[in-house]
Amino acid sequence: MEHKGGKKEGLSVLTYIALSVFTLVTMLLCVCLGSVSVPPDELLSSSIILNVRLPRVLCVALSGASLSLCGAAMQGLLKNPLADGSTLGVSSGASLGAVLAITLSISIPSLPFAGTMVMAVLFAFLSLIIILSLAYKLDCSLATNTIILIGIIFSMFASSMISLMMYFSSDRLRDITRWTMGTLSGSSYTNALVLLVTLALCAAVILSRASELNAFAIGEDNARHIGVNVRRERLIILIAVSVLIGVCVSVGGTIAFVGLVIPHMVRLILGPNHKKLLAASMYCGACFLMLADLVARVIVSPLELPVGVVTSLIGAVVFVFIFFRSVRSRHA
Amino acid sequence: MKKNIIIVLLLCALLLCGCGKNEPAQSGYTVTDMTDRVISLDAPATRIVALSASDCEILFALGAGDTLVGRGEYCDYPEAVESVPSVQSGYETNLEQIIGLEPQVVIMTKMGQTVEQVEALSNAGIAVVVSDAQDIDGVYRSIALIGSLVGKSAQADALCKSMKSSFENIDSKGDGTETIYFEVSPLEYGLWTAGSGTFMDELASLMGLKNAFSDVVGWAEISQEQVIARNPDYIVTIAMYYGEGATPVDEIMARAGWQDMTAIKNGKVFNADSNEISRPSPRLVNAFESLYEFVYGA
Repeated sequence: MEHKGGKKEGLSVLTYIALSVFTLVTMLLCVCLGSVSVPPDELLSSSIILNVRLPRVLCVALSGASLSLCGAAMQGLLKNPLADGSTLGVSSGASLGAVLAITLSISIPSLPFAGTMVMAVLFAFLSLIIILSLAYKLDCSLATNTIILIGIIFSMFASSMISLMMYFSSDRLRDITRWTMGTLSGSSYTNALVLLVTLALCAAVILSRASELNAFAIGEDNARHIGVNVRRERLIILIAVSVLIGVCVSVGGTIAFVGLVIPHMVRLILGPNHKKLLAASMYCGACFLMLADLVARVIVSPLELPVGVVTSLIGAVVFVFIFFRSVRSRHA
Repeated sequence: MKKNIIIVLLLCALLLCGCGKNEPAQSGYTVTDMTDRVISLDAPATRIVALSASDCEILFALGAGDTLVGRGEYCDYPEAVESVPSVQSGYETNLEQIIGLEPQVVIMTKMGQTVEQVEALSNAGIAVVVSDAQDIDGVYRSIALIGSLVGKSAQADALCKSMKSSFENIDSKGDGTETIYFEVSPLEYGLWTAGSGTFMDELASLMGLKNAFSDVVGWAEISQEQVIARNPDYIVTIAMYYGEGATPVDEIMARAGWQDMTAIKNGKVFNADSNEISRPSPRLVNAFESLYEFVYGA
């Protein structure tokens, strides 16, 4: 918590501009390239671009930003490099809700995603409450180890519930399978708007707690000693994260690796200060997921790959590369 | 010493049998299944377990539904099949359940079986017959195979003939310029289509239509942009309607970005029965007829 002569700890204006420009260029690239090539002079009038590609790219960018932000916040809060929406059990809980909505055909007319979205957010909340109350029963101080452990056990429970439901509703099997792999095809402007509003609200909550997260990242005791209301702040951050994950899952399914890898990559480049990390993670997550989705859309055209396959593949390789480089430069 | 020679000879004979067919010369009543395995029985089978829905349909279509003593859990047509005891099929094929029903024959597909399962069934004295149709000719072979298995070859011939004439005796036929797009899974879960080598593709070409995604093999996930760019003349969805929200046809008609497509403008969107149009059963004729009516009118 060292202040450099009163200077702002966050990203400089220049860095913000650079990140924004990079994100916009990536977005432009992803809108211009696709399974069907559209001539440059028709870019603004083509129905494919306006109705299909643009809403999808927007949803992908917003999902990437949301998932990375959640990952960064979880890792700092729980002081655990493996923390992520998926390890905490919130993603699985949200999936379980979405799958339940599919199995029971819960839908709201004229809003095709509303049924699954409400169920996903509801179950993300429910999982959080179950995980936290179990953790509280075991350990009143809500130690991070307890939360992570219960989160993983809850994930397993939710996954087996999903398998069980897949077993008993074979006619919906493919829909459910798609759900567990993640799909952003068929995204609409409505989806993008929902994601944008959720991200704006939750990001405001999480970004304003960057110093608390810095304190948590050093240790719970440290946070308590410098006057952070540990329980309240943790609850607020966890709720923001679970809402964001619930909405992301209901729009795009569970997308692996973004939330786990992007914050690590950013941390290796910019350092562990959350005042930089959180914002930069959002930009990088958006760019990463847009590029991964671009690959998923064009590499086997006219076919399409699930984006989760690409994120896991690219994410794993990039992560290993950056990890090796950083370890080597530390030794040199 | 003599004994040893006999044992060696017997073993050789067994090995030869093992390499070739399953004791082909033992009995007078034999059928060859769709993996070219020869199955011999004393008489036409009277106790059969059929694991795939299409084979159950064929048995009933031949008037041999009473030979079924067990069926796969997903067999649902005709209604009478529901009263036959159900067994687990596919990856969860439950050998104990099947053996407990004491069938003479188990009819299954290639996909739904493992070598171990076939061996275990053979050891229990149950013959395994593979019926695995991949195209309409395959369906004729399945019908002939099952017909000879239950001693109803004449009925099987008649069924195949009537199917063939339904496919061939049509009034109008396209010249292969109009395109049709089959949608297997709706947009909400990612678009999947049926490409070449599927029954849908074959039915379309029988009536002179070109599958818009004939360059794709089998069922595959495709890009929404491609569907719009390929601008099919007809759209067929096999999505199930669960009675809530927009029907599959209305949902397609209302999709953003699809409004300028030929099929949407002409209202040529059709919800086909997914079981009829994707199962290798005699009901492919029904699927063909409803598709034909949709394209060319009654």
